[in-house]
Amino acid sequence: MHKALLAAACLALSSLPALAQELVLGAVVPLSGASATLGDDQRRGIELAVDKINEKGGLLGGKKLRVIVEDSGGRAPSALDAAKKLVTVDNVPVVIGEYSSGITIPVGQYLVQEGRVHLNIGSSSGKIRGLGDGSFSLIGLDNVSSGFAAQDVVDNKWKKAAVIVPNNAYGQGVAEQFQKAFAALGGEVVTTVMYTEGQTTYRRELQQMERSEPDVYVYSAYGKEAATINRESFELGINATPWYAIYLSMCTSDADPKFIQGQYGLDLNYIGPDGAAYEAAYKAKYKEPFKTSFNGYGYDAVMMAAAAIEKAGSAEPKAISAALKEIGNGYKGATGDITFDADRQRSKQPYLKLKIEDGVQQR
Amino acid sequence: MVQFVVDVLIRAVDLALIAIGLSSVYSLIRFPNVALVQYATTGALLALCLQMAGLPLVVAAIAACALVGIIAVVLNVIVFERLLRAGSAIAMIGSLALSMMFSAIFLVTAGPRPKRFELEINPPLRFLGARLTEHQLMSVGISALAIIVFALILFRTDLGRCMRATATNSVLASATGIDTRKVTNTVVFLSGVMAALGGIGLSVKGEMSAQLGLDMLLPVFAAAILGGLGNALGAAVGAVVIAAAETMVTNVNFGPLFGASVLFIPAAYATAASFLLLVVVLLIKPYGLFVSEVKRV
Repeated sequence: MHKALLAAACLALSSLPALAQELVLGAVVPLSGASATLGDDQRRGIELAVDKINEKGGLLGGKKLRVIVEDSGGRAPSALDAAKKLVTVDNVPVVIGEYSSGITIPVGQYLVQEGRVHLNIGSSSGKIRGLGDGSFSLIGLDNVSSGFAAQDVVDNKWKKAAVIVPNNAYGQGVAEQFQKAFAALGGEVVTTVMYTEGQTTYRRELQQMERSEPDVYVYSAYGKEAATINRESFELGINATPWYAIYLSMCTSDADPKFIQGQYGLDLNYIGPDGAAYEAAYKAKYKEPFKTSFNGYGYDAVMMAAAAIEKAGSAEPKAISAALKEIGNGYKGATGDITFDADRQRSKQPYLKLKIEDGVQQR
Repeated sequence: MVQFVVDVLIRAVDLALIAIGLSSVYSLIRFPNVALVQYATTGALLALCLQMAGLPLVVAAIAACALVGIIAVVLNVIVFERLLRAGSAIAMIGSLALSMMFSAIFLVTAGPRPKRFELEINPPLRFLGARLTEHQLMSVGISALAIIVFALILFRTDLGRCMRATATNSVLASATGIDTRKVTNTVVFLSGVMAALGGIGLSVKGEMSAQLGLDMLLPVFAAAILGGLGNALGAAVGAVVIAAAETMVTNVNFGPLFGASVLFIPAAYATAASFLLLVVVLLIKPYGLFVSEVKRV
């Protein structure tokens, strides 16, 4: 009985951040589900930033920084549960996340409503722009990326494109923006397929697309779903037509190299001029080159939040938000120059044109 | 056109194996066993485990089928025989409960991520303009063979005669000296084997997940009901009809009607089409396309 009481008291004490000499932030990323590989890579970036800050002596005069990383499971309801837990139980001022736009939007809405700071590090739906004060994007939204993709496809002399994207906020945004940009450049989207997430086969969708006889297949899909699409396009023999990936490292993170040979695509330029030290730290800790292009955004998010807390001299969400707006003007992040526009969205986002040769991305 | 036939055939054999098992068990014990589709997932996962343990796929598949057959018999003896004493509706609800337990067990043991057999994947073979992978060819061949063997057992052996006699009138059958309980358990065993084979065939061609069985539930029931519940070979025909409906809906180009070059119904609506067909057929022929052994009495 006494022991149980003691344990309960200890538990109550340890969950009070004010008593512990540490500063706690939160993150919600997909550590399981279709985007698990990408979410885990986001976590790596976050971890590296926390290590770096604590090595330099922590924040606000010696407080250790800790980021609680919660799993969203790739599902909006569990992501919201995780965000609620971070806000109500851990009482964190800043939450980083999620990956997929369809999940980032409700999580962001909830955080803005609760008066916390939301940092988007992986989603690019245009709808994120409207989340409201307190929500920041460290990544360029899809009007920028789709325009870039359309130009690249036209430059490769492909006129008829068949598009396949997930049936969610992200996919709808990409499909709409790509069609608009591609049509403006004289191309034609001959068919658009919105696939249902989480299926074990996409054969029927691929066969429908094939009937439109495109010059190029343009796709954007989450890790494991993209792996299924790539395998089945190989099995159907339609990979003889060029494939173009929007966010190539997301589309190929779980694929067998044999099925993605020769694919074209764009990706985020994940290393800015000041990113060399970060890249070296990543390689040293995880013993491999960058797994995907999304880890750097996790790193930058933590570093920027830390800088904002130092600048504001407090961990109050309002103060952090105000400080972020000042910092976010030519901030030199690992992913390059981060400058927020009036809607707190990253205004400049460099991209890379890539092609897969022998299972490796070539610039 | 050839591609259409190939696609229908591939889908039909997947459905047919499980639908035949469902229908033949129904003919004997008069309740549709919902958990049967979960035996398909169990078969696929067991075969994967055995393959990962080092067995060649063929051996792993045979062992998994036998194991699932035994599981089916054990569950029949300890669960369904008791529930059936309270009525077939109770037994069906019991099988639904069992099926949910299976889902939970799959999630805990195998996890939510889809898995694949370790198989070499090669470019498709061309056959009269249609594409077919080796795995598809193999799976269709094995499934067709299994259906033929089952039909031969049903119509050419003593066991088959006992099965049909029990299905037609079990009281009379046992009065003539047939051990109806033994016959029933043999059929339950065969249905488990066929469901497992169906699950393995499905996974060889693509991926397996904890959802594999539940995704098959509605089309399999539709096929079995369409063929006349209780009529094993009717279920095979039902499977072909459902597969044709699903494939047709996603393959018809509505583009010319709306002035676009290509316009298809999204593939996610394929199952809805098969149900529309089921409803229409049942309105016209309430007992399914074929009169079953059960109804003949």
